[in-house]
Amino acid sequence: MLQGSFYSIREAFGRTLTKLGEEDKDIVVITADVGDSTRALYFREKFPDRYFNVGISEQDMVNFAAGLAAVGKKPVVADFAMFTMRAWEQIRNTSGRMRLNVKFTVTHSGYSDSGDGSSHQALEDIALMRTIPNFKVVVPADAAEVERSLPVIINEQGPIYYRMGREYSPSITAGMDYKFEIGKAYVLKDGDDLAIMGAGVVLWDALKAAEELEKMGISTAVINVPTIKPMDENTIEYYARKTGRIVTVEEHTIYGGVGSAIAEVVVQKYPVSMRFVGSTTFGRSARSERELLDYYGINAENIIKKALELMK
Amino acid sequence: MGERDGIPISIDELNKLKAIAERARRNVIKMQFYDHSIHVGSSLSSIEILTTLIFRYIRDAQEKINKDWLILSKGHAAPALYAVLHEKGLIKEEELWKIQAIDGILQGHPEVYIPGVDMSTGSLGQGLSFGIGVATGVKMAKGNGRVFVMMGDGEQDEGEVWEAATHAIARNLDNLIAFIEINGYQLDAKTSEVKPKDFLPEVYKAIGWRTFSCDGHDILSIINAIEEALKARKPAIIFAKTLRGKGFTPIENTKMQRASPDVARQFLLNT
Repeated sequence: MLQGSFYSIREAFGRTLTKLGEEDKDIVVITADVGDSTRALYFREKFPDRYFNVGISEQDMVNFAAGLAAVGKKPVVADFAMFTMRAWEQIRNTSGRMRLNVKFTVTHSGYSDSGDGSSHQALEDIALMRTIPNFKVVVPADAAEVERSLPVIINEQGPIYYRMGREYSPSITAGMDYKFEIGKAYVLKDGDDLAIMGAGVVLWDALKAAEELEKMGISTAVINVPTIKPMDENTIEYYARKTGRIVTVEEHTIYGGVGSAIAEVVVQKYPVSMRFVGSTTFGRSARSERELLDYYGINAENIIKKALELMK
Repeated sequence: MGERDGIPISIDELNKLKAIAERARRNVIKMQFYDHSIHVGSSLSSIEILTTLIFRYIRDAQEKINKDWLILSKGHAAPALYAVLHEKGLIKEEELWKIQAIDGILQGHPEVYIPGVDMSTGSLGQGLSFGIGVATGVKMAKGNGRVFVMMGDGEQDEGEVWEAATHAIARNLDNLIAFIEINGYQLDAKTSEVKPKDFLPEVYKAIGWRTFSCDGHDILSIINAIEEALKARKPAIIFAKTLRGKGFTPIENTKMQRASPDVARQFLLNT
């Protein structure tokens, strides 16, 4: 399971989106001059009349998309996570407040824009987006889950924030057979002593950590929680009860992100001890996303360390 | 006299619109008895334009692509919109007096669940982009809906307006008509003291908009400008000279948004 293709997550996005465009003529794609970087350009190649580059103007992009939704189009905003946050207030005050059918499909989240450094590394966006009423927030684990979930996202009524990285996409779900549903968590590996929960590409590290923990005799479950909002409370409560210990992992700040959202459920349903693995600072430049994940301790080694703290 | 004489409206209709605007104006002044925090000054500067649009131009239709859209980007003028929508029969009189009340439907800024409201606004600078989205969607679907966007002069400080202004030209939208009301004031001070605004008509023109101007309190002047704008075959913008607090002398053409209820009551009794 830890091997397999390293198929780029944005490639999966661009190609899946274009395929969906063939089936549904109402889909329109809007970008703020990052069509190439997000791979939304594949959609333009096929459907130039349904593709809009509004230029480097995210606020305009967000409300333009909202206007298109208001007359029945299915706008898909393709942009960098960081620069979409520049228009957070527009997203909140228009799409959120009017419950418009806009999909914010963002790439380059987390440390995935490794070279560009901290200005481009969105580590706060899940926290920001999950606070907006009417919004759903989805973070696919890998390219395979993008292919599986994007059709579901596009066909769901209402605004959704859909968060992806750039290239890096170690295989996590490729070999799995399941139907993606919004609001559902998926068991990647079952276990009794401890549960690692999280979202995104860092679940690869979670699986690696689980393997090591098993060798130490600690039976470890790994839960993929792609929908941060609304959260699959039943699965989270089930594993809180079953294992009594939870480590969360995310390529995002631990303040208000995936771990926080899981903790909100746990503390109300069945409080257990928890540890959080994620970012606490701004990022920096590096030659690869993997280097940054290791540099900031969002990796198997740190997950194991936190797990062992809980096992004491 | 009438349309055959080159005047695009009959005297009867003109008088009817003037009477509607005057009733709406008095209702806005009256609304501050019930909630003192409404933006009376900004509302009164928009009364005639909203009256003209709603009673003469906005066409309703079942299909979203064939109706006309009215976007009040300067959302704090909501009381004026509500007062005119009341004249249209879309909002009951008792709701006007419940403005901003917890059990009323009329919010401090427009929300789409209020009858006759096409966009939830309130945060400045956002209406034009939305209007461009609507106008683009309408054209893609080959509908005949037109989009009217009302902005203020202070609102032009927002960067998103600049983003949208160039965007409308890129889309070459001929079903989009925007208004910028020039009343010369923003929240804290005169617009001229905060950031320059005089360049606006030249800049919009230079970007590629067809620009027009009117007296925003003279219904005939407003109609003439809209008629020209409708023929523009390009994004059109109408600069409407208005007075903040127009017709409510205790605050007219000042930075003040409202007078005390006593002053307002006295004013309504005496006029």
